[in-house]
Amino acid sequence: MMRIASIAHNTFRESIRERMLSIALLFGFILMVSTYALSPLAVGAKQKIIMDVGLAAISILGVLTAVLLGSTLVHKEVDKKAIFMILTRPISRLEYLIGKYCGLVIAIVTMMAVMTGVMVVMILSGRGQLTPAVFAAVYGALLETVVMGAVVIFFSTFTTPILTMLFSLGIFVMGSLSNDLRIFAQRYGGEAMKLVTGVLYYLLPNLQVFNLRHEAVHDLHFRGIDLLNASLYAALYCSVILFFSYMIFRRREFL
Amino acid sequence: MDVLRVEDLRKSFRHDMSLRRREVLHGVSFEAIAGEILGFLGPNGAGKTTTIKIILGLLRADSGDVRLFGRPAGERAVRARIGFLPENPYVFPHLSLIEFLEFCGHMTGMRGTVLRARIEEVIWMVGLESSRARLKTYSKGQLQRVGLAQAILHDPELLILDEPFSGLDPLGRIKMRDILVGLRNQGKTIFFSSHILPDVETMCDRTCIIREGLIVRCVGIDDLIRIGESRVEMIVRGCPPECFDTLDDYLESKNSTGDEFFLLVKKQDYVRTVVQVVYNSGGEILKIVNQHPSLEEVFLNEMLSEFKQSRVKTPEEEHTFIGF
Ligand SMILES: Nc1ncnc2c1ncn2[C@@H]1O[C@H](COP(=O)(O)OP(=O)(O)OP(=O)(O)O)[C@@H](O)[C@H]1O
Ligand SMILES: [Mg+2]
Repeated sequence: MMRIASIAHNTFRESIRERMLSIALLFGFILMVSTYALSPLAVGAKQKIIMDVGLAAISILGVLTAVLLGSTLVHKEVDKKAIFMILTRPISRLEYLIGKYCGLVIAIVTMMAVMTGVMVVMILSGRGQLTPAVFAAVYGALLETVVMGAVVIFFSTFTTPILTMLFSLGIFVMGSLSNDLRIFAQRYGGEAMKLVTGVLYYLLPNLQVFNLRHEAVHDLHFRGIDLLNASLYAALYCSVILFFSYMIFRRREFL
Repeated sequence: MDVLRVEDLRKSFRHDMSLRRREVLHGVSFEAIAGEILGFLGPNGAGKTTTIKIILGLLRADSGDVRLFGRPAGERAVRARIGFLPENPYVFPHLSLIEFLEFCGHMTGMRGTVLRARIEEVIWMVGLESSRARLKTYSKGQLQRVGLAQAILHDPELLILDEPFSGLDPLGRIKMRDILVGLRNQGKTIFFSSHILPDVETMCDRTCIIREGLIVRCVGIDDLIRIGESRVEMIVRGCPPECFDTLDDYLESKNSTGDEFFLLVKKQDYVRTVVQVVYNSGGEILKIVNQHPSLEEVFLNEMLSEFKQSRVKTPEEEHTFIGF
């Protein structure tokens, strides 16, 4: 436990001290503030736009940072051979991977929390209303990022940062659409198409379940049970994919 | 008891872009005995780093066996008893020295005030200062010292060092040597690779020489001294060739260049007789060299096996000049 914590702590510290995270934060901040300037609208509409842009920024920047940061995380240590000084200590490769993953998640959650804070301040300062749905949406974005983080770690155990990035973004896009695709295929596609989209649907993370932005912006009702299911789904998906990451990483040689 | 036993290690690497594999270790076997400093000597590309990585589980051998403290390598409890200094250690640039050592300590289960005290101790031992500067500002030699600091941090019983002397200034080398000898005197076992012969020679109890993926020879310091007792080189001038006729039993070889003779005397004890014969026949002695084969010589002989019979002179040789 302590070993996992120290790997995670080191990973987190490394992420903080690198510029990536602050750049992403700055970007999110600019996006949100720009809505002020761009929307000479009625008070209510303005709040909706802030919420809409803010939640989208949190979600997308969260995933993007996870992919960019995560893709180099393991590779850098392997490439620079820093990993020699870690794996020759009494730490298992599973602990190492989990530590890396936790560090990544902590770093990104921190970033998303700061962005959420900014968004909340902006909503409140514009006398807008904070509904539970907003926080549910942030939580959904968080789950999405956590799942994508595991996907990134999975690829980073065996390919280069660039390929990790491409694969992960590919999975992100397909994962965001897989449900739609499947429905589309079931309505209009042939048998083969149905099969392929079906397989993809179960293989890829279904990221749509984490998207509650629409509900938040329009203050629609959301069900607690959906959040719970989404959480369980995220936990299961992460565990499985981290397990496969370990199976690959366990066999890996360090040249 | 052997702390480290390596048996018949074989390892091949795949060529880039092809399925053919090239074997770089062809059955490496040796062992390190508790409490000794064992040098691992070999030219570039001989397979030293590869062997060390296999011992530490960073690479998998194709076949063969590695035992550490009598147990299979790779067990977690075993790794807690080992300290490792990689070749050109890379440390995390974003950390300060203290932070890095704390991180290393945590991974070996050390914590709190014990860890803090130990960190101060090893920093002092390797001759660094506990500064707040990030490690990315450190020089190569300083990083080497940081690497040593992390290797000895948890007071391991076995130290495995890949080229510990590279990048160190003369003072740093002496310090490294003192630290390693000091640890040996505390009963630790040290296994290190190098191609810097004087470093190996002055501190190793034994040396294993690897060449093209095979251990060609393991020599102890005692062996070297024993070989050294046997021969003496002499260069003489101005005596007639016939005067050596009576000395056939005393000389291993004689060669002439002009009026100079190069004599190889079989034993230290025979030198007096040979000297007398040379003087009596009116010759003079230019040089007497006590042939103490240095490790370098043994090493070079193994490397250039086709020249095995010829002598290779080195500056390390103990020269005894007798001026006339
Ligand atoms: N990843 C690799 N792929 C292919 N060949 C490799 C790889 N790593 C090492 N080799 C080959 O294995 C041989 C031994 O390499 P190794 O690094 O063990 O040598 P070394 O004794 O440590 O040399 P040096 O003194 O230069 O550090 C070399 O011929 C090298 O080309
Ligand atoms: Mg090497």
